[in-house]
Amino acid sequence: MLSTLHPPRSLSRFPRYTLCTLTAQSSPSTTPPPHSQILSIRRALLSRQVTTTQLAESYLTRLRLTEPHLKSFLHVSDAVSQQAHCLDGKIARNEEVGPLAGVLVGVKDNICTVDMPSTGGSRVLDGYRPPFDATAVRKIKELGGIVVGKTNLDEFGMGSTTEASAFQVTANPWDVSRVPGGSSGGSAAAVSARQCVVSLGSDTGGSVRQPASFCGVVGLKPTYGRVSRYGLMAYASSLDVIGCFGSSVADTGILLRVISGHDRLDATSSKREVPDFASQFASINLLESKPLKGLRVGLIRQTLDDGVDSGVVSLIRGAASHLEELGCSVTEISLPSFSLGLPAYYVLASSESSSNLSRYDGVRYGNQAAVDELNSLYGDSRAKGFGPEVKRRILMGTYALSAGYYDAYYKRAQQVRTLVRKSFKAALDQNDILVSPAAPSAAYKIGEKKDDPLAMYAGDIMTVNVNLAGLPALVLPCGFVEGGVAGLPVGIQMIGAAFDEVLKILIAIDILI
Amino acid sequence: MGSRALLMLKGASTMAVPNSQIFNFNRKSSSFGLGYCLSKVVITRNKNNGARSCSTTTTRSSLEPPDVPRLAETARISLTPNEVEEFAPKIRQVVDWFGQLQDVDLQSIEPAIRADTEGNDLRDDIPETFENREAMIAAVPSYEEPYIKVPRVLNKE
Repeated sequence: MLSTLHPPRSLSRFPRYTLCTLTAQSSPSTTPPPHSQILSIRRALLSRQVTTTQLAESYLTRLRLTEPHLKSFLHVSDAVSQQAHCLDGKIARNEEVGPLAGVLVGVKDNICTVDMPSTGGSRVLDGYRPPFDATAVRKIKELGGIVVGKTNLDEFGMGSTTEASAFQVTANPWDVSRVPGGSSGGSAAAVSARQCVVSLGSDTGGSVRQPASFCGVVGLKPTYGRVSRYGLMAYASSLDVIGCFGSSVADTGILLRVISGHDRLDATSSKREVPDFASQFASINLLESKPLKGLRVGLIRQTLDDGVDSGVVSLIRGAASHLEELGCSVTEISLPSFSLGLPAYYVLASSESSSNLSRYDGVRYGNQAAVDELNSLYGDSRAKGFGPEVKRRILMGTYALSAGYYDAYYKRAQQVRTLVRKSFKAALDQNDILVSPAAPSAAYKIGEKKDDPLAMYAGDIMTVNVNLAGLPALVLPCGFVEGGVAGLPVGIQMIGAAFDEVLKILIAIDILI
Repeated sequence: MGSRALLMLKGASTMAVPNSQIFNFNRKSSSFGLGYCLSKVVITRNKNNGARSCSTTTTRSSLEPPDVPRLAETARISLTPNEVEEFAPKIRQVVDWFGQLQDVDLQSIEPAIRADTEGNDLRDDIPETFENREAMIAAVPSYEEPYIKVPRVLNKE
């Protein structure tokens, strides 16, 4: 039944796309806008073709219909219609409405929302209502967006499938016996199944990019510091970012602009100006035959070896050829230290998480065990509240940070981070973007990797180095491999230089849904 | 890369592998001999997808392996004996895998605290009143104005 949610598509090697880019010849103001749900919604609302209430109702109907099968949401807002009415009033009175007017947004449940529970996917915060909105959420609301609900995730972001959620496992809309990816699986599935227009996720080691690939949607991991982390429940503070999902590159870019910007409440947030990403787009009709001429693309050799599904490799190489047809120069490049990034990442992430999760002690918020002694309060509240993966990572992190082991593990992992940063920088001095798969395979079956942590971690090899280097990366669908009901989507990852997430990456291939 | 990473993952196994562990790899991994973590792991699958055999010879790091009960106490998580038994091999396996970091020559490489080079941007150390105190207090599990209640602290015997 769910296969009918998506239009039937041929398993062509590289679907036809609408290409959007900026060239010297075209001027943005005279060109028709690119494919964008957000812009279409805006046009329809402002021209009175449809009301926000009608639009919201159509999304909610689809959400209710698909939720029993997908389980993308941990909480659905009961204030959507009311907010829609409110916006309709503004439009009727010809008042200014923000760029996200009428857009239904899903928010990953590790991002705080003041009017809705925020559990982080964990029992330890079951029932917790934050006293504030995350900055990213506040910005979405200020600019007219409607938060439709909180999406499912692996507990505190630790996982790659949503199987580590304390509450439910989300299904991949392309094949409900398969995982949507993780940890932002709920957010990816929700956009893929059109339960909402766009959504927020978080990416510490690939948690936006891998689910984007598995669910056939666009996923963007911004540069570290581009988006405020205030209100994002911390997992690994030096690696976490808030990222976006959309059904098109344009939508993802519009959402990114909304949530980006310096925030005095996040000491790691950047003061750099936020470009108007969406204005960089132009329609393909007005472009010359080789619109990407001059763009240097580096294909990361280490990501195309055995160990990567041959169907995936074939699609990535196909995408690379297509980029060449569009004028790019594509070369294979090598990133030394690439494979070291994975253990380094897991040392850093588990160490930082052991520190960040020490706040869940049952004292000031969250669930509290009923005991009569303080140490038991901590021990039992945490034992009952945390799932096994979280417990294991805290323990591993505690080990790696212990006296006597800090130099052997944590410090060395930090040094590997320097190596990874340097090797990316060297590669990006010679290339405008680097490309690779987002995951070694398409979505696998629910339960397949659940019992083998190392097998699960192995799947992150494509994504973690980008977090170590703090760089931006965009994942967009580039085809299908055999499997599932009608093929399984695969995404190509495009990595850019710091803070350049868009100028060159969004010189990118908009997707066809 | 992909295969090397997978091989490295399977490289670190203890001699006594619990029966319950299932290795999902359907390839043979060969020994990779350099550095201080030597291992040879051969795992094959039979037709019914069970792990047919798993044999390893390993040299371990000279660092003490993880003492899970002690770590649990440090991390203030009360693990059940079952959990200790279940977690110990998995944690051991991952920590052994971390051992690769010791193989690399990292002399004179500066550790990076985080990726960006923008430097710390701290605001002035001036207290501000949080506007939604009621909601914060409402989230406290056990509150008796103006105290957050916790049980007593007992001296450990």
